[in-house]
Amino acid sequence: MTSEVNEPGSPPVLEVSQLRVAYDGRTVVDGVSFRIQRGEIFGLLGPNGAGKTSTLSAIEGLVRPAWGDLLVDGLDVEQQPLAVKALLGVQLQSSSFQAELSIQEIARLYAGLYGVKLSKDQVRDSMRTVGLADELGKKFKQLSGGQQQRLALFIATIHNPLLLLLDEPTAGLDPQSRRGLWRRIEELRSEGNSILLTTHSMEEAQAVCDRVAIIDHGILLTEGRPSELINKHKDDPRVLSVAHGAPTLEDVFIGLTGSEIRD
Amino acid sequence: MTNTGVNTTRPPLGLALRSLLRSDFLVLLNSKTSLFLSILLPIVILVANTVGKGQSRLGGSSLVIGLALTLGLLTSGLFGYTLALAHDRDVGVLQRLRITPAPTWMIMTSRVLVQVATNLLASVIVVIVGAIAYGLTLSPGQYLLAIAVSLLGAAVFLSIGQAVVGLVQSTSAINAISRVLMILLLLLGLLGGTGILGDTMKTIAAWSPVGALMTLFADTLNASSWSGQDTNALLACIGYVTVCATIGVRWFRWNSR
Repeated sequence: MTSEVNEPGSPPVLEVSQLRVAYDGRTVVDGVSFRIQRGEIFGLLGPNGAGKTSTLSAIEGLVRPAWGDLLVDGLDVEQQPLAVKALLGVQLQSSSFQAELSIQEIARLYAGLYGVKLSKDQVRDSMRTVGLADELGKKFKQLSGGQQQRLALFIATIHNPLLLLLDEPTAGLDPQSRRGLWRRIEELRSEGNSILLTTHSMEEAQAVCDRVAIIDHGILLTEGRPSELINKHKDDPRVLSVAHGAPTLEDVFIGLTGSEIRD
Repeated sequence: MTNTGVNTTRPPLGLALRSLLRSDFLVLLNSKTSLFLSILLPIVILVANTVGKGQSRLGGSSLVIGLALTLGLLTSGLFGYTLALAHDRDVGVLQRLRITPAPTWMIMTSRVLVQVATNLLASVIVVIVGAIAYGLTLSPGQYLLAIAVSLLGAAVFLSIGQAVVGLVQSTSAINAISRVLMILLLLLGLLGGTGILGDTMKTIAAWSPVGALMTLFADTLNASSWSGQDTNALLACIGYVTVCATIGVRWFRWNSR
């Protein structure tokens, strides 16, 4: 896994500083800070309700932070929201597209919204790369879960974004589809995209991410390369108490975030 | 910009608006309920009112055509536009659009423009069918006025629908409220306007959205001269649009959760 991909002196693609997000006075993200460099895949790990999606929502401009700074390629998310959105590709946790539109029409709509002109033939050619060329006439709901995820990722990357935000992109997928999506994520990185993804899967984090951060109750607990995190926390009594043998990333995760089941 | 190989330019607004208009039009075209409410329902009313009788059953021809036009605008505004907006908010379609570089005003404007254009087209068809069915001869000026009143009517009911979606989050609640509201508005405009519920209700009915629009449609189709009643109806419509659109925009939420 290559991690050091930033050009010397170039600004981070994403800089999150002291981010605080609150809903109706209840703080769900509290003082979170991290950076993502160009061409880097960064994983945000946390149990349900930890604050992962709220962090992403703030970066996407869907919620206004109560505090903190969010810079995408040096642009302030709050000051220049539309310019920032043009730099982002987003796959939401549950994407939904207009039920009345075919896959081809959805692709042309979102291409247009990002300033990409696509003819019907170009849509067909592009869809071939994600294995959906034969499904162009179908509606979104008629696709399988894996196909829906592939379409959502295709739409998110239709304008070749600087930073791709993926909210639990492989949730609910079978192993084949999951591996396929990992390959696609690797390809996107090799094309110059930076990626921030949230996941529950430690396997995914280790397989795909250059660096990961563990978040819980809105607070960033630790951050680093997966191997670094294991080394850093391998002697932590909380980690040792849940480990069966040599500590793994999952042991570190459960040790730091607790064993209780979250809703 | 410092990156290479990736897109960092802000997309042109014209292309975004064209894409939105095209997709919103396709959505409306593929939605049979919306088309039925906008065009077929008013025509059914016109035709049903003439079947088996030489004379209109509900009253004068201008009243029936006005009713058909108003009903078409009312149902497509309160059911077509409002429920589609509530549904898209509920399932996350609006949220998905909102994370694109298209400004939020553009996303809403596109929907409203397509709905208004459909309403205008439906109104022209209804007026033509009505004129043929009732043997009316309308001047080009009357057609233009009817279209102008239809535009006003579309604005009235779309803004009422927008206010409902702005104030209420639950799609099922919006569905129920829209049905009740439609019955109330129709009863008030029709029954109240006849005077059988008393003079007070008649006055209220004249200022109600349905009553005001039917007044304007009837006077347009009858080629009546402009009256104080028309002024009141016009003011009422402008008032509804202003108040309801303000409420609908001010309290609108893009996410139902």
